[in-house]
Formats: sequence, structure tokens, C-alpha cells
Amino acid sequence: MAKIGVFICHCGENIGAKVDCTKLAAAMGEHPGVAVSVEYKYFCSDPGQESVKRAIRENNLTGVVVAACSPRMHEATFRKACAEAGLNPYLCEIANIREQCSWVHTDNGQATEKAMDITRSMVEKVKRNNKLQPIEVPVTRRALVIGGGIAGIQAALDIANAGQEVVLVEREPSLGGHMAQLSETFPTLDCSQCIMTPRMVEAAQHPKIRLLTYSEIESVDGYIGNFSVRVRMKSRYVDIDKCTGCGDCITKCPAKKISSEFDCGLGKRTAIYTPFAQSVPNIPVIDKANCIYFKNGKCKICSKTCQCSAIDFDMPDTFVDLEIGAIVVATGFQVQNNTMYGEYGYGTYPDVINGLQFERLASASGPTAGKIQRPSDGAEPQTVVFIQCAGSRDPSKGVRYCSKICCMYTAKHAMLYAHKVHGGKTHIFYMDIRAAGKGYDEFSRRAIEEDEAAYLRGRVSKVWQENGKLMVRGVDTLLGRPVEIAADMVVLATAIIAQPDAKDFAKTIGIGYDEYGFYNEAHLKLRPVESSTAGVFLAGACQSPKDIPDSVAQASATASKVLALFSKDMLEREPVVATNNEATCAGCWGCVLACPYNAIEQKDILDRSGRIIKRVASVNPGLCQGCGTCVTFCRSNSLDLAGFTEKQIFAEVMGL
Amino acid sequence: MSIEEQYRTRAKELLSGGAVKMVIGYGKGTTASRRRPLFISSPDDVERLVLDDACITNLSGYLVSEGLLSDEKRVAVFLRPEGIRAVNILAAESQLDAEQIVIFGFDVSGTEVRALKGIHVEEFSDVIGSIKEGAPEASEEELFEKIEKMSPQERFSFWQEEFAKCIKCYACRQACPMCYCRRCIVDSNQPQWVNTSSHSLGNFEWNIVRAFHLSGRCVECGNCDRACPVNIPLRLINHRMAEEVLGAFDHFAGMSKTQEPVLASFKKDDSETFIL
Repeated sequence: MAKIGVFICHCGENIGAKVDCTKLAAAMGEHPGVAVSVEYKYFCSDPGQESVKRAIRENNLTGVVVAACSPRMHEATFRKACAEAGLNPYLCEIANIREQCSWVHTDNGQATEKAMDITRSMVEKVKRNNKLQPIEVPVTRRALVIGGGIAGIQAALDIANAGQEVVLVEREPSLGGHMAQLSETFPTLDCSQCIMTPRMVEAAQHPKIRLLTYSEIESVDGYIGNFSVRVRMKSRYVDIDKCTGCGDCITKCPAKKISSEFDCGLGKRTAIYTPFAQSVPNIPVIDKANCIYFKNGKCKICSKTCQCSAIDFDMPDTFVDLEIGAIVVATGFQVQNNTMYGEYGYGTYPDVINGLQFERLASASGPTAGKIQRPSDGAEPQTVVFIQCAGSRDPSKGVRYCSKICCMYTAKHAMLYAHKVHGGKTHIFYMDIRAAGKGYDEFSRRAIEEDEAAYLRGRVSKVWQENGKLMVRGVDTLLGRPVEIAADMVVLATAIIAQPDAKDFAKTIGIGYDEYGFYNEAHLKLRPVESSTAGVFLAGACQSPKDIPDSVAQASATASKVLALFSKDMLEREPVVATNNEATCAGCWGCVLACPYNAIEQKDILDRSGRIIKRVASVNPGLCQGCGTCVTFCRSNSLDLAGFTEKQIFAEVMGL
Repeated sequence: MSIEEQYRTRAKELLSGGAVKMVIGYGKGTTASRRRPLFISSPDDVERLVLDDACITNLSGYLVSEGLLSDEKRVAVFLRPEGIRAVNILAAESQLDAEQIVIFGFDVSGTEVRALKGIHVEEFSDVIGSIKEGAPEASEEELFEKIEKMSPQERFSFWQEEFAKCIKCYACRQACPMCYCRRCIVDSNQPQWVNTSSHSLGNFEWNIVRAFHLSGRCVECGNCDRACPVNIPLRLINHRMAEEVLGAFDHFAGMSKTQEPVLASFKKDDSETFIL
């Protein structure tokens, strides 16, 4: 005989002001199977929890319903309280009469009626709840960090410094990511490479970090604590163990006119190359598409030059299989291609460049060794126009969101330009100056006050070439008049966008993403570095546009999450898993395909002589995440979900 | 030699040589215009086989009779293109091994019976492909057009009226080659989602559930429609579901024996307009 305790929480005025809790408690007290029905101002408080525990002990309750806020808030609290009172925690359910009732209704009478329905429905469910035991799974103490930019490096270092193993995978030939491309960084103007490269070296030399550059994730299977990951190590055509990084091959390579990705097309590189001088590892790769040998079958000059015989034109891609416990995704961003703004002339006029290209121009290691020279003729530009929000905050052609870093880097560009080209003029077209961050507003004020950046509030309608100048026509909305500026160079503050393959990659590792391809966090405020997939964490600009301090902070946060996971030998998982009724299973295998976690296997049922009687589906509880997809697919209703069984759901519905 | 003769000869050869253990075909029915399923396992019985324009029933459902194929011996079966598609689905859903099925393919247009070339399901992929590409059959009826033109309310009351006739005999389920579950959802009573008594709610639940279970799987053979003793036009509801699935996912049921079920499979380029 069921003895259910119903505990109705006022949540102060949150519930109490709309729902007549006294009436609700009385009505539930009358319901068959309810042994106790009481109300209290805050059941989540210590005395509140104590009273629940006391009621369980005194009345030998067989189930508990707490009518309160969303189970996302306090389900864990009350389940723990029940466990402390000797009741299996899965015999405790939450009836949500706050978010789904008192908060959304205005009429007290109706709200009370609805609260009764919700609570009664939960009482009916609890009567059919079973005792469940948490599932324990082992944890592999090895983290995978995907992406070797500043976020990935930071996460890898933090985890490794705590003594745990890390595999750091980067798809480019070198660590560094976008930060390695930058000149100086706001708001302190310290040289990006000077602060970045020590981290790169530290990561590469760390005994706990295994570095896989020029490698991509091929597949991810498994679940939190127990992922199986396959990594494709793309062929460098250079033996990483033999190469000493002397660079002779690079000097001798005759294919010298290849546009450098690292210099955003402003510089040239050879076919065998390292992206930049401080590359980590300092081992070149051969760009197969541009290599003369791979194109014509003749050349091999690099191979002849190499004294260590490190070059192998027949080197295949190789695969590495990894057992991984937690994954940090730090795959970064791309800048938007601005050719969609035909009126700005990007891609048509060589002296219209984007912000990242300006970084390369201003960088001491860049194609011009840090001199600001315009790409068309190498002349020093005397007037530079910066156009902010070239893509960001533009629902019609660009993206709807703010790219967050452009206001600051444009101020920085103006400053760097002023420092390098004395007497040069800068004009910055802006919509708003967004400078929220430590030292940020001071920094943008400094650009205006000390370095004479001329900010014009307004948009640019057109850029065209006239008499060797780039004519920029815009509007100054503060003065309310059109302006035309004859510039030598135009810099577009391009939007940050997700990596072009971000969505495909999300599907490979099984995490969610938004309409733009940025990865979704589990909760924007309270779980900002966790993805919705357990054991997969997000760091840096793959989640949303971020500057360096934010990326680093988020990376360290993921490291703390990974380390918390690695602090246990066994991982306790909710026992909410699917089970299959083998007697009724028709063996259509639809569930095997439908399962997003590969948790369902085919199982043969044999007779004594070993002949197959029947083939059925079988759920591996270690892999099952309890999503219920298989349950909805199963036509014969053979699959059921513990904690949310058909019987329970049916009782819940009938209880309404 | 008529097709009937040809197929009788082939059946005789297969049975006497032991290449197949049984031939499932059509025999004479109770009236001149009716045919009934015929199961023969002796070469002497092949003369009882009939093949003419009255051979309509999709016989593929008999292939999954319990124990029939478990000895791994082959079975021959007379099938129209819909039946061949059904065999593909049954193979894709692991209900049978397509290697065990020897097909006597035929198609009927008007009163003319035409043989379809091939023995195994793979050999009929062109025939199936041309049905997918082909225009909807002309016989596709006024009633369907009429229902399509109705407002949702009118359509709802149309089906309400139709389903009111349902007596829950489950003849549609028994006739359907896709309804092979050993325990149907309506037979499950813990909990009893679908009410077994014949009243409008339960009737609605049953017929809608069946339509959903058939979406992406129905080959529109018409077995259910013909089996219904109260003449509910079940073909129309299934036809509509097939159109939906074809339009949304380019999925034509029974294209191959390895086709993945439309509701359980996921392609990276599936549109995701519904995901926020």
C-alpha cells in the first residue's frame, strides 16, 4: 500500500501568492495513497528538509512528492534528503507548481486548480516509481583538447600541470591559432607572439602533454569518462622524428609564390613550409596541392637538400586511437569574408583589407616586418579609414550578433598606426564603442585623446577608387551630414564567425550548436563551459566571439571541470537508462540506428544447441544516456526508460 | 507460352531440383474473380498455380511467418512491384534474409500480365526506381483529391466518420506485411495506451498509430484496404503519409534491402529547420 508524502512549498510569495497552498495540501491529503500532506514556506531550507526527513521516518513513507520549483533547481536537494532518511532517492519526484503554474497564471483560483492537477499527477507517478541504483562507470584519466590556439593551450597546460595526461590536437602544422597572428594585444599593447610563444613551447615540452599537430578528429564514440577517439594524423611528408628543423628545405624550395595563409594572403610562402618562424613544432609540412613534385613528378629538391633524409613523399596519413575521459573543444573561429559588401570593394581594391590582415601588417614578424605599407604598392598610407561592424550587427548582409572584439582592436589598430606612421590620419566609422572590460574604456579613450583617432559615428555607404585614392563616402550622424574621405587604405572590422566546418564537427562529437554554428553551452549563465553532452567542455571562441582574456579564463574553467571529473575513480551516473523487453522485441533494429550514443547492440538469443531462436536489441546501460529516442521509435513498445516508464507516464497522464 | 505457363515450369524446376522448399503463389478462389494464396512444396502441385489480373494480394507478408525461413532454405514467391519493395523493407528491418527469397515478379496493367525480369530483390531496383520517378497512378482517385481539398476541420470529421465504422478486428494489421511485431502496441495492456473497445477515441488512436507506424514503410499494396470489412479507405491515409515522407526526406519505401528506416536514420545534410 502506497504511503506518499506530499510537501507543498510556498517558495515565499513565489508560489504562495498565487496558489492556495492550504487548500492544495488539504486536497492532496484526501487523495488515495497519500499519508502526509503538508505545506511550508521554504522546504529547501534546512528546517524544511529536516521536516521532510522526519515525515519519511515517522510515517514509513514509500514515496515523496515535493510540489515546488522546477526539478532543475532542487530535485537533487530533495532526493539527497530522502536518501539521508533512508528512502531510495528515485522514489522522490518534484511537482513543478512554480515555473509551470504560479509564475505563469494570474487567476488564483485557476492556478490552485492547476497546482492540484500537477501534484496529483506526480503522486500517481510516484506510486509506480521503482527503487533505482546509480550506475557506476570507470573514468579514463586522459583529456583530449581539440584546438591548439590560446584557449586549447591554456586548457591543456592547466590539466597537465595538475598531473593529468592530455592529448592536444591541432589541425594546422603549428600550435598558435589566431593569437599567433596578432601584432600587439589590447588593452596593454604587449606583443602577442611574445606572450604566446612561451606557452606554445611549454605545451610542447610538457611531459604530460602529447602533441598531435597537423591532425584532425576522425570520430568520437563513447560517453563521459570513456570516449574512444580516432585522430587522423595528416601526412606532413616530413618525418617528425628525423627532422631537425634546420629550414634548408624551405630555403631551397623553388615554389615560392604561394599565398601564405598565416599572413592572410599578404605574404608568400614555399610549398614546404612552417607557417611562421616560431612554429611549434618547428617541423615543416609539404603542401601537396602546390608542391612541384606532387604536381609534375619532378623536383624533390627539398629531399636532396635534407641532410637527415627526413622527407618521404610516400608518407601516408596515419591514425591514432585514443582512450579519453573528457574532451575540451577549443576549435576557435574564422573571420568573415567581406566580399559580400560589394560597396566596400573588399577583394576588388587591394588596399581594402580586413582587421586580421592589418594585424599581419603591424606585426614585427609579418610580411612587412611591422611597417604599415599598403598592399597595392607598398607605400606608407597617410590616411587610413577603419569601418567597424563590417559584418557584425548587420542582419541583412552580415551576422546579427556583436563580434565583441572589433571595437577594441580597431582602437588598437588606430593606435599602432599612429605610433608607426607619425602624422598619419585615422578615421573610424563606428556604430557604438563597446569597451566593457578591464582597462578597455581607458584604452579606447587613449586612442582618441593621445593618438588622435577620429571617431565618426555613422555608416559607410560606398568605397571607390579615384585618382589613386580610396574614396570613402559615409555619414556622420552626430553632425548630421555626409562625409567623404580620400584614404590610402581602408580596414574593415570583419565579423567573427564560426569555423566553416563547425556544424559538421559538432555532429562528429555530438554537441549542439546555434544558428551560426557556435557551440551551445549547457546553461548560458550557470553552466557556461559545459556542452550539453556530458564530458565535453567548451573553451574559447568556438562558443561565441571572445577576446583573449575571456578565452583564457574559460579555458581554465574547462580545466577545473575536467579535473573535477578526474578526481574520482568511478563516475556515478543517473540510472535513467533504457531497457528492452526481449520477449516482445521484433528485432527491426530501428533503435540501433536511432540511438545517438551507439548504446544499443544486436543480441542473438540461442537455444541450448546454439541455434539462433531470435535476434533482439540489447541496451548497454554504461553507454545509454537515457534520452528516450529509442523508446519513441519502438513500434512494439518493447523499449522502456527507467524512471520514466510507460506505466509511470501513463499514470501521470491519467492523474491529470 | 503464357507467363502463367512459364512460371509454372520454373516453379516445377525449382521445387524438383530442391532449389526452393516452397512456392508461395496464387490459386483459384471462391469465385471466378478471386484468388487465394497457395503454398506448394511438391512439384506435382504446380498446375494449381494461377497468374492473371486478379492476382492482387501482396504475398510478401507470408514470408515472415514464424519459422518459415529459420532453416535457411529458400522460398519462392509471386510478387508485384509493391511486394518486391516490401521484401526490401523486411530485409532492411532484419526480418528476413533476402538471399533466401526467390522472386517470381510480375506486373499487371489492365488485364495484361507482364513478367518482371529477375530472381533476387537487387535485380528489380530499376523497376522500383521507375515507380518512384513515375507520375502518381491515374487511378489515384477522386476521393483522395476530394480529401486534399478539405479544410482540416472537414478532413477531421471525414476521418472521424470513417473511423467510427472501425470494429477493431485488426484485419488491416493481419493483412499488412509490415505488421510483423509479435506483440502489437494495441495488445499491450500495461499500460493500455490504445483503448481496445470500439468507440471513437480508441478507433482514432488505433488508426492514427498504425498510419504513423507505416510512414516511410508502406508500399501501398492495398492489402489493408481490401481486408477491411467495413471499407475504411485506409490506402488514402497511408498514401498521404508516403507523400509526406517522400517530400520531406526523399525517402521512397523499399528502394533497397539496405535502406535505413526514415524515422531512425539521420543524414548530416538533413534540414534542421526545427532545431533552435
